[in-house]
Amino acid sequence: MPSLLGTVAKQLKSHPALIPLFIFIGGGATMSMLYLGRLALKNPDVSWDRKNNPEPWNKMETNQQYKLFTVNMDYSKLKKDRPDF
Amino acid sequence: MSDVIEEKLKNYRTAPFDARFPNTNQTRNCFQNYLDFHRCNKALTEKGQDTTPCEWYQRVYKSLCPIGWVQKWNDQLEAGNFPGKI
Repeated sequence: MPSLLGTVAKQLKSHPALIPLFIFIGGGATMSMLYLGRLALKNPDVSWDRKNNPEPWNKMETNQQYKLFTVNMDYSKLKKDRPDF
Repeated sequence: MSDVIEEKLKNYRTAPFDARFPNTNQTRNCFQNYLDFHRCNKALTEKGQDTTPCEWYQRVYKSLCPIGWVQKWNDQLEAGNFPGKI
């Protein structure tokens, strides 16, 4: 359908109460896509390149925090305790 | 360096918090430590060094893993069909 945006803009001018609807639906969709993007790109459990980066979770720092909110866990106090090999 | 390890092994109580596995499901923590124990043994014996530091990983996986899983993986290692990369 050509100029879908034009049609929508015309309808919005005659029903301006629909504008908050677009804002909230658009905001919600953006936030979900952003979270999925974060999961896809930043999650240490996800490995896009199995040959060169097979275990990305092993590349995390000892006090690196991935979770968005942590309760009762002070990441700044963690020290490395695994022996190297 | 080795007495730091022996100190840590002597004071071991349970598996410490691992930032790589912050959630309730600790399955991968268990498997990772099992893998790390065998990789550590392999790497240190190839270099000709003493494998005592690897005992840390063994203590951790023994704290975390169900005994049945450890037995199954040990059997798989002996049979040669263990699925992880060591």
